[in-house]
Amino acid sequence: MAVQRNITNTKSLSYFLNPKRVSNLSSLRGFSLAQPPELPPFDYQPVPYKGPLADQVFEKRKKYLGPSLFHYYQKPLNIVEGKMQYLFDENGRRYLDAFAGIVTVSCGHCHPEILRAIEEQNKLLQHATTIYLHHAIADFAEGLAAKMPGNLKVVYFVNSGTEANELAMLMARLYSGNLGMIALRNAYHGGSAGTIGLTALNTWKYPIPQGEIHHVVNPNPYRGVFGSDASLYAQDVQDHIDHGTSGRVAGFISETIQGVGGAVELAPGYLKLVYDMVRKAGGVCIADEVQTGFGRTGSHYWGFQTQDVIPDIVTMAKGIGNGLPLGAVVTTPEIAQVMAQKIQFNTFGGNPVCSAGGLAVLKVLDKENRQKHCADVGSHLIGRLKNLQQKFDIIGDVRGRGLMVGIELVTDRKDKTPAKAETAVLFEKLREVGVLVGKGGLHGNVFRIKPPMCFNKDDADFLLDALDYSMSNL
Amino acid sequence: MQKFASSLRRLTADGDKLGWCRHQCFSQLTQRQSSIEESESASAAAPIIPAFNNSSPLYVGPTADKILSKMQKFASSLRRLTADGDKLGWCCRQCFSQLTQRQSPIVESESASTVAPIIPAFDYSPPPYVGPTADEILRKRKDFLSPSMFYLYKKPLNVVHGKMQYLFDENGRRYLDGFGGIATVNCGHCHPDVVQAIINQITSIQHSTILYLNHCIADFAAALAEKMPGELKVVFFTNSGTEANELAMMIARLYTGCQDMISLRNAYHGNAAGTMGATAQSNWKFNIVQNGVHHAMNPDPYRGAFGSDGEKYAKDVDDLIQYGTSGHIAGFIFEAIQGVGGIVELAPNYLPPVYKSIKKAGGLVIADEVQSGFARTGTNFWGFQNQGIVPDIVTMAKGIGNGIPLGAVVTTPEIAKVLTRRSYFNTFGGNPVCSTAGHAVLKVIERENLQENAHVVGSYLKERLTTLKEKHEIIGDVRGRGFILGVELVTDRKLKTPAKTEIVETMEMMKDLGVLVGKGGFYGNVFRITPPLCFTKEDADFLVDAMDYSMSRL
Repeated sequence: MAVQRNITNTKSLSYFLNPKRVSNLSSLRGFSLAQPPELPPFDYQPVPYKGPLADQVFEKRKKYLGPSLFHYYQKPLNIVEGKMQYLFDENGRRYLDAFAGIVTVSCGHCHPEILRAIEEQNKLLQHATTIYLHHAIADFAEGLAAKMPGNLKVVYFVNSGTEANELAMLMARLYSGNLGMIALRNAYHGGSAGTIGLTALNTWKYPIPQGEIHHVVNPNPYRGVFGSDASLYAQDVQDHIDHGTSGRVAGFISETIQGVGGAVELAPGYLKLVYDMVRKAGGVCIADEVQTGFGRTGSHYWGFQTQDVIPDIVTMAKGIGNGLPLGAVVTTPEIAQVMAQKIQFNTFGGNPVCSAGGLAVLKVLDKENRQKHCADVGSHLIGRLKNLQQKFDIIGDVRGRGLMVGIELVTDRKDKTPAKAETAVLFEKLREVGVLVGKGGLHGNVFRIKPPMCFNKDDADFLLDALDYSMSNL
Repeated sequence: MQKFASSLRRLTADGDKLGWCRHQCFSQLTQRQSSIEESESASAAAPIIPAFNNSSPLYVGPTADKILSKMQKFASSLRRLTADGDKLGWCCRQCFSQLTQRQSPIVESESASTVAPIIPAFDYSPPPYVGPTADEILRKRKDFLSPSMFYLYKKPLNVVHGKMQYLFDENGRRYLDGFGGIATVNCGHCHPDVVQAIINQITSIQHSTILYLNHCIADFAAALAEKMPGELKVVFFTNSGTEANELAMMIARLYTGCQDMISLRNAYHGNAAGTMGATAQSNWKFNIVQNGVHHAMNPDPYRGAFGSDGEKYAKDVDDLIQYGTSGHIAGFIFEAIQGVGGIVELAPNYLPPVYKSIKKAGGLVIADEVQSGFARTGTNFWGFQNQGIVPDIVTMAKGIGNGIPLGAVVTTPEIAKVLTRRSYFNTFGGNPVCSTAGHAVLKVIERENLQENAHVVGSYLKERLTTLKEKHEIIGDVRGRGFILGVELVTDRKLKTPAKTEIVETMEMMKDLGVLVGKGGFYGNVFRITPPLCFTKEDADFLVDAMDYSMSRL
């Protein structure tokens, strides 16, 4: 609390203090920061908040909302306003948002151009469904298809990543005529009846029948049994197809960087080998781009492109609408054709407001050159994190690309023992300094750094200094 | 305007003639408008004129030219008064609605079907549309969107703007929305309070997830719980009805430790892996594994084997449990009024005995209120209340957000606990914008007394539709309550042969007159009338008159 008040009181000081200078000093000379670092300046005053306070909100949540609703921090944060890469709590205190509402706020909180698009559409027509024509859904589908390689040209709009993956799986099964799906251990693909089967983290799997899903060895370069050897992991997939299925499968699904699983990149070259095997077994290949899409990885617009493959079906959500409830499935006209067998309909999917919002997101990302920005800021961030790794033994692994980064904390680098308790303590400390990060991995010992894409180098430096400061005071 | 109307009345002593004048003047204006914009609305007005000439050969009043010159004089003086063309359109609409209201006793008489009905007045001009045309959109839809995406009408409608119970096409033509974006737009299109709430919220925060606190989701949950009977006090927010039903089914399975679910034939509960199993119409079920769901006989009073005998259908559920399951089940899911299935009300006295059987087998009762909730039935806020039971779980979507992607599951604290066994998370579910909008919807329903309106106007509408059934053999059944009404068309009342082609024709004609309704039922022969709840008595008259007029021309 003392630290918090101190920061609030000295907030104005940050305008006169160059955080870059502080960070350079600390990293180059190996000094630990004695003082907590200051947030980069930001010329914006939040609107005075007059709503209910954290305690009241929390009481209501406990009374009226599902008990599975969890929250971050011992004293949960009441977030009442957002502006680009920053969030404000009920006292007007500013935080650097390094998690973006779980990789969702791609352009930045309340980005003015997206707001304008939503506002205009809200006043004209909010909802009429696709039984009538409306240009917004068609324009957005065209815009999205233009971002896709190969023959990925047919778009289905849904309301979430779960719905997108449900639909993709349905298409795979119908198109192939097969039932078995292959997914990676440590994957997260959703929480409904079909997708819960694909999800492969026991903490997210309720004990209900999960259908014919085969979970193969995760090609995790840090913890996986075969290290970074993609061909050995791929062999496991072939083995699974040969022994665990009829030899024919419906499809294979994977995230290109596992999100919930703790920002795990797949061993390089893995997807290319596996896609070939799966297609030979009659299956289709699905890329789940819910977290990795829209330029976040920096080097490419879509995560699967980092592995040089073209999937048969791509699913997306989160970043697609900067927070609007929106998901999509993109596939080839040939595969899409199977959906014409029966009626497939989605009441809200691609409604005028979400479509206008989604199209605005595509435009903003292009106009503001966000993909390149992610590459630049991301490599700066990852470079500095690797330096920090040399300083602190607790950092077992630094991974990811662009602004999709994971920091895995271990108490023993050789045994890779998850530093669960330490992660939780650091997590609180970071919040006290003014940084909100995410947490993930099966053991909850991975920091997930996936900020809005407008996150800049000063923000990265501040985050680094905050990590340095917190770890030094662990 | 009133002076003009009264002078017209003096000119034509006979009410019918006045109706004719009104009709002439309307079609003239339609044509004039269409020549300014595009030819599509002209094709809509065209069939009206020959139909009229055939039925009124003995006219002796003033000639069309005479009236026309008067009209033009009047119009030009108006034009002088109002520089803006849009305002002229509005004034003329106002004028005709006055006439319509004055005329209504005549409209209701037998001769109604001889005169093309006119859309009620509405004091609003849509902003000019400058976006892509229907053809351009259609081309893009074919190139980039799902082949399973279908549309209504031979020449699909490009709906660009909505205001309360009305929609506007690309030419600014106004339509009465009798379908509400499929029972979704409950408060009315772009209701100012709901839009304002959304705009206010998006400027402060759109999305942060429930990892942090924010009062919007908590306030909305509390307000929603307030609308619930019994112990139904815990809310889970999702993004759609499918997601809500998926979650409800999983909760039931976890709570009971059983897998078997019972749903009704002709039901629609969603299209994800679990909910597609609960859905029970072959045209919505893809050929994939859909295990663990048993489909009981549908207690359909019109087509069902036991007519309106609810207890007999309830016995079928008990039989199914005894013979088709281990005797222990996860639950029973039902729509209080089946929506996609063609607005089928469950036979009276069905749910109470079913409730007993389900409880005896250890199952939970899930009410799917996606279409029937939020005051739509008029008599109650929730559809299940019409049969006097309190379910264990209630799912909702559609009307909850007036078009915003939002769904919810409400259950008891005890049942909700099962979800703490593992993590359940929903990225967008209950985000600040959707929560605020949902909360605004609840307030609007309350403040504007929309439940009362659904009851009063809905009952009036049903009464008029029932009267229409006496006139047109093709109407086999009129059913539903409040603003969730169905009109089933049959070519043979005894055999109940579905009038599949006739319904399509009628629907086209109604669209040409300016009325949009929905279509449903297993055979696609049921009109679904689920308008925004702000629908007025004049709207109801217009809808029925348009249906009457169209059916008379089949």
